[in-house]
Amino acid sequence: MGQVRPERLFTKFPSLYMKRIIISIAAFLFAGLIFISCRKDDVAEPDPTAGLAKITEGFASGAATKVQVFSNRSSILTGYTRLYLALTDSASGNRIDKAQIELMPMMDMGTMKHSSPVENPESTAAVNHLFHAAVVFTMPSVGGTWTLSFKIKNSVNGKEGILTIPVTVTEGTKPAIKSFVGANDGNKYFVALVEPAKPKVGINDLELAIYKRVSMMSYPADSSLSVQFTPEMPSMGHGSPNNVNPVHVRKGHYTGKVNFTMTGFWRLNFNFMQGNVVADSNQYIDIEF
Amino acid sequence: MKRIIISSLFILAGLGIQAQHKEKSSFNDSCHIVELNEVMVRGKQQNNNQHLIRFFRSNQAATLEDILSRLPEVSLVRRGSYGMEPAIRSMNGGQINVMVDGMRIYGACTDKMDPATIYIEPSNLENLQVQTAHSGFLNGSSIGGTLNMKMAGPQLLNDKKITGSFSSGYQSASKGFYESLLMNYSSGNWAFRVSGTYRKNNSYRSGGGETIPFSQYEKANYSISVKYRIDDFSYLKADLLGDDGWNLGYPALPMDVGYAGARIGSLSWHSDNVKKTWYRKEAKIYANRIAHYMDDTRRPNVPVHMDMPGLSKTGGFYLEGERALGLNSRLHLRADGSTSVLNASMTMYQPGELPMYMLTWPDNRKNQYGIGLSWVYQTDSLTQIRLNTRADLVTYRLITAEAKDQVSIFGYPDANRTDWLKNGSVQISRSLLSSFRVSGGISYTERVPTASELYGFYLFNNLDRFDYIGNPGLKNEKAWQGDFSLLYTVNKNRFQITAFHSRIANYITGIIEPSFSSMTIGAGGVKKWINIDQARLTGMEASAFLKPFKSIDLISTFRYTSGRDHTGRPLPNIAPLKWLTSMNFAIHKFSARMEYETASRQNRFNAAAGEDATRGYFLLHMRMGYRTTVFKTQFNIQSGVENILDKKYLEHLDWGNISRPGRNIYLQVTVGF
Repeated sequence: MGQVRPERLFTKFPSLYMKRIIISIAAFLFAGLIFISCRKDDVAEPDPTAGLAKITEGFASGAATKVQVFSNRSSILTGYTRLYLALTDSASGNRIDKAQIELMPMMDMGTMKHSSPVENPESTAAVNHLFHAAVVFTMPSVGGTWTLSFKIKNSVNGKEGILTIPVTVTEGTKPAIKSFVGANDGNKYFVALVEPAKPKVGINDLELAIYKRVSMMSYPADSSLSVQFTPEMPSMGHGSPNNVNPVHVRKGHYTGKVNFTMTGFWRLNFNFMQGNVVADSNQYIDIEF
Repeated sequence: MKRIIISSLFILAGLGIQAQHKEKSSFNDSCHIVELNEVMVRGKQQNNNQHLIRFFRSNQAATLEDILSRLPEVSLVRRGSYGMEPAIRSMNGGQINVMVDGMRIYGACTDKMDPATIYIEPSNLENLQVQTAHSGFLNGSSIGGTLNMKMAGPQLLNDKKITGSFSSGYQSASKGFYESLLMNYSSGNWAFRVSGTYRKNNSYRSGGGETIPFSQYEKANYSISVKYRIDDFSYLKADLLGDDGWNLGYPALPMDVGYAGARIGSLSWHSDNVKKTWYRKEAKIYANRIAHYMDDTRRPNVPVHMDMPGLSKTGGFYLEGERALGLNSRLHLRADGSTSVLNASMTMYQPGELPMYMLTWPDNRKNQYGIGLSWVYQTDSLTQIRLNTRADLVTYRLITAEAKDQVSIFGYPDANRTDWLKNGSVQISRSLLSSFRVSGGISYTERVPTASELYGFYLFNNLDRFDYIGNPGLKNEKAWQGDFSLLYTVNKNRFQITAFHSRIANYITGIIEPSFSSMTIGAGGVKKWINIDQARLTGMEASAFLKPFKSIDLISTFRYTSGRDHTGRPLPNIAPLKWLTSMNFAIHKFSARMEYETASRQNRFNAAAGEDATRGYFLLHMRMGYRTTVFKTQFNIQSGVENILDKKYLEHLDWGNISRPGRNIYLQVTVGF
């Protein structure tokens, strides 16, 4: 057979020719399978906490759950603070993607205690293995101590537990939260800046979160106010055009647009109204970038 | 791009090869490039301008701006003693093309401190072409015309000797020095030319003795040019031109210029052979880069210190050809393309705060492709018809995310544009009674808005003290212009009078945007560029050349323009009646010239644009020249007194009511070798 040239061999032995084809196709498919499976193995799942900073961690003992707390900032500042919670089974180390979580911040000032506004995870299901929550720290850890409690109901094992951890809150150079007592109703309101988190020259989303203090332990989201604002550069004495006043969308969040015509130090001057009555017109939030 | 150029070159060359060895017709017998060009592009009646330019250039101490200011079609917008911005028949900025050797150069300054005219020293100037509406769009769509400065090239003398000249001059009003060196060398088919000029002027003294602060400037200009002769009819040429300016003062603006630099380079191929059908062919590729840094560190009481750098980069090409079509007509064809990128920013520093940074020209790219065609037909020995046409495709794009973000503030999510520009003109001229020539023409022209008008971001205008913001939705300006001219020639005396009228539709102007707050400290508000229905310009130019005696030349020019917008209000930047007369007396090696310049009061001003009335003036200048050869070395001594009466005056187009130089005594010595 070695003496015969392959093509002639094929014409002589058609069955051999077919066999070769079948073998090649099979080899091709096999190689493809290996390739596909290799790819599957190669693609590691991206770390859900990439780009986030770990603030603290601890065990919610009764729930047999380890809680890791992440934020988009490495330190906690006063104002609207996004928190991302990653839960794992403390025994197996497996991720827990289903849990009911309630947050309770507490400021202990010795003679008195108060809480602050929170946004608990909206669903018991984690989003990309993380539970999204937010706490609006209304003051820095000066003259008192902040603690943050997480009440976890682990939907995997059905257990419940609480983790309480101390957190240190500092005031940023440009505080992104203001409070006022409504001239109309005497209630205390907290206004926190949510967006722009990364301001740029151009059109920026403006998002505020507004809460009303009902008691020292209750700060529900408020949608009763209407917001007007004007940006200005205090050291230059000018504003910017085509801004859009924020309006309430959901859960005390008001969204609008703010235009920055240059980088630098900007001040957003607010006017809060309830109907036709001015609730407050003295608050401002500074943004420098 | 490269491939297009090369293939186009081959096409042109191919067309040239099918030469039909035609007899030259009566009107293209001049084989001198400059003259041919002039006859071709501008028509006979325009030759007056060349007479004027030649006359005023004979004063070698004259700067390019001196020459330009003496042409009846040209006026100069002045913001400092440096960098005056030319206007043709009262149209300026984006309404005209200012070109160097057919190349597009865009200033890198948002405040128009750097018109392309600053890059050409008279020693580098071969010729100056001022093309008004009829033919002013052939090199690029424009409603106002084209100012093209042709640069001098090396001379093929084949003497293997370095020839050239050295000039040194002094001006008393600005205690200014001028030094210039020019050298030419050629050997075989190669010729080289290098030139360098250095000027340093202090703040000048105005009429009456007051020193105008921040009117100083210092600059160096240098060029190298290489020519290679391919054969008797064609050559290749490479040019590099550099220009650096330092501490350039602009007394009418709140800032000066710390440094401005230009690098201009080109490579071209030229062919002139009257025996060929395409008797003139030219192809060029070019690139230039202009950098500009404004500076306020020398100014007192600056409310906030700022840096304002600007950058302009342009690359392009053009192909030109001229051919005869039968005995009585000829065709001039030009195809060109260019791409330019502009960006400028401003950073303000307030102590204790982060720097305030913004783009004053959001980064943008303008691409332009166009074809121009000129057809001249001599119906009989008396009558000539000329048809000019040009189409341009112009695109503007914002090229960075940062730029788009900024422009979106004004509600223009897509600020890109694509425009087709169409231009055309008809001109007929006819000789009457052997000594008269009448010509009349009508043209339709279009222009795109400038980058400042489209994208300018709070550009402060110190004339009306408003911040201007661009409008990417601007419509193109469209103009109809008609003119009529009468030329009378007898012996060596020539008189010419031209009247013109332009109607500009969608005229671009600024209106106050009351809801916006100004950004510049001290500004009165914000203006936005918009189109208004119409603006009209009406004017006339007259010139006379008299030669009563062999040794005497008398030249007189006169111009008047009036402009109004759709509401009848006067347009800004319209110079009043100006009359200039110069008498030159030349005998042997000596020449003397007496000049007077007079301008009427301008009461037709536009207050909204920050203008006010300007007084008229009368100026007297006296110039002398002496030329001699000592030991085979030529000496040319030029001296004179400008503004002899030390009149304190200013022109209507001068910003900030800043007086012009007072009595100025100058001396310039040129040594030829």
